[in-house]
Amino acid sequence: MKSTHLFQAQQLVAGYDHKAIIHGIDLAIPSHKISVIMGSNGCGKSTLLKTLARLIKPMSGTITIDNEAIGDLSPRKFAKVVGLLPQSPIVPEGITVADLVGRGRFPHQSWFGGWTKRDYEAVAEAMDMMNITEYANQHMDELSGGQRQRVWIAMALAQQTDILFLDEPTTFLDITYQIEILDLLTDLNRKYGTTIVMVLHDINLSARYADHVFALREGKLVAGGTPTEVITSERIKDIFGLSCSVITDPLSGSPLVVPQGRHHVQEASSSDSNRFLTK
Amino acid sequence: MNNETISIIRQGRNSRRRRWVLITALLAVLAFALCCAMLLLGNTIYSIDEVIRALLGEQIKGASFAVNTIRLPRMLAGLFAGFAFGIAGYTFQTMLRNPLANPNVIGITSGSSAAAVFCITVLHASGAVVSAASIVAGLATVTVMYILSRGKSFSIGRLILVGIGIQAMLDAVISYLILISSSKDIPAAMRWLGGSLNGSQLHELQPLVIAVLVLSPILIGLGKHLNLLELGEHSATSLGMNTDKTRMMLILISVFIIAIATAATGPIAFVSFLAGPIANRLVGRGGSNIVPAGLVGVNLVLAADLIGQFAFETRFPVGIITGMLGAPYLIYLLIRMNQKGAL
Repeated sequence: MKSTHLFQAQQLVAGYDHKAIIHGIDLAIPSHKISVIMGSNGCGKSTLLKTLARLIKPMSGTITIDNEAIGDLSPRKFAKVVGLLPQSPIVPEGITVADLVGRGRFPHQSWFGGWTKRDYEAVAEAMDMMNITEYANQHMDELSGGQRQRVWIAMALAQQTDILFLDEPTTFLDITYQIEILDLLTDLNRKYGTTIVMVLHDINLSARYADHVFALREGKLVAGGTPTEVITSERIKDIFGLSCSVITDPLSGSPLVVPQGRHHVQEASSSDSNRFLTK
Repeated sequence: MNNETISIIRQGRNSRRRRWVLITALLAVLAFALCCAMLLLGNTIYSIDEVIRALLGEQIKGASFAVNTIRLPRMLAGLFAGFAFGIAGYTFQTMLRNPLANPNVIGITSGSSAAAVFCITVLHASGAVVSAASIVAGLATVTVMYILSRGKSFSIGRLILVGIGIQAMLDAVISYLILISSSKDIPAAMRWLGGSLNGSQLHELQPLVIAVLVLSPILIGLGKHLNLLELGEHSATSLGMNTDKTRMMLILISVFIIAIATAATGPIAFVSFLAGPIANRLVGRGGSNIVPAGLVGVNLVLAADLIGQFAFETRFPVGIITGMLGAPYLIYLLIRMNQKGAL
């Protein structure tokens, strides 16, 4: 079981080139839970994630892990506790799957010397978890998008961190593979208690897979809580500027956002939706 | 539990490892054979026995002079410079994930050459001053390029474009300096334009030998870091690497080693550009191919020098031969990268 950590941000301001994108965010990441950061394009979700993962230096405010500022930790030490899968990682030409997953072992390895038994175990465990063992000795360029994404997650798993950040892990994937990835991440969370924080684009998948939701608007945190608490039609209107009905997902019981466009809306749609809610 | 998975991974890694060892060993044997050929071949061909005795210090008429004063320094210059060009070129190409990102192509070598030619033709300096100037200028060129390409965040594409621009500018400076120089300085200056092993002298090789022996283990030791940088800025950082610091260290060492090698033999065209891709093609990717790349560099330089010396009626300096090999590859690479839309 992964260790519990107190991961907090206080009065966090961050951005690029002296231009703040995040304006004063306070949050605490719930340990052993799946958290999703949601919000419209350009609201700062990705910037927030990158700042928490130490890729961007905050302009002001503090980020602490177990009450120690993350900037004070050595990069290696931080990398043993917190891992990040970036949005579009770069595949080195001609690398095999096993070697790529093995790169995740970097913070645990010495400069010289090959893989230790521990390295082999960690890589094997990560590959089994992501069902990519059969491709172990294939080249990355032979795999499909969904398979590659599982390899990248396996690389992050081989890093064996207690906390894992993922920046839109399902983008560019077909719906089948989106579900597959989210199921695998849930397995990971349930089996090892890994704390997962991810940026997701799809509100309904966020509502279904998240234990905790952080809702962002224009660089500010407007709500945090369980999907049921956070995802209401008023708040969706507030965050995304989208009129919608929120009904209960008949499969999972989580909130399900049904957008209202200008077309294809039957009369008295909003009262209609109650039919589903009461069902 | 996952023993089966472990053995699958182990098998794959072992077979790749075996290939690495085999290819590296073959390259080393070939390099050794070429070194021997460099000592044995020449205007007069002495027997192996004579060559060995001459090397061991015995005075043999003719052989001692030819072997110890001409052939041995020539061979050592090719050996060490080839290795230096190979590992430094590989480091650059891997770190910047682009075979075009190479000291030859992006103007670092030109920076060294321009400074050296300036020292020779304008300041009439020689020896250590010229070498020192070339090293400082190489580092200065790379610093300017790094600053210009840094912008908002470090961009490899920008670095390469800036580098190609700087290269063109510096080459113009060199041509101008040669044009205004007095004829007695021209032979010394020419060495900085095209690589040649002619007239290498033992005592002049000392800095190169020391630099290679001291710095290449460090570069080899940074192999894992280099592999990680290949994953891109974000992945490398989140795996616990200080990317700016590591990149700076790799650049400093590579530029230093390449400037020293250039001071000894001149810029031997395209060796640092060809060595890495050839090594990767032979060995396959996954681990660090820095050592095979160095050995490919050695083989290229020595083989090209032997070809230049003996294959034609006129003797050609090594740089002409490697240039003839490298230029078509550069064109091929540009066409292929253009097709992939990577340019």
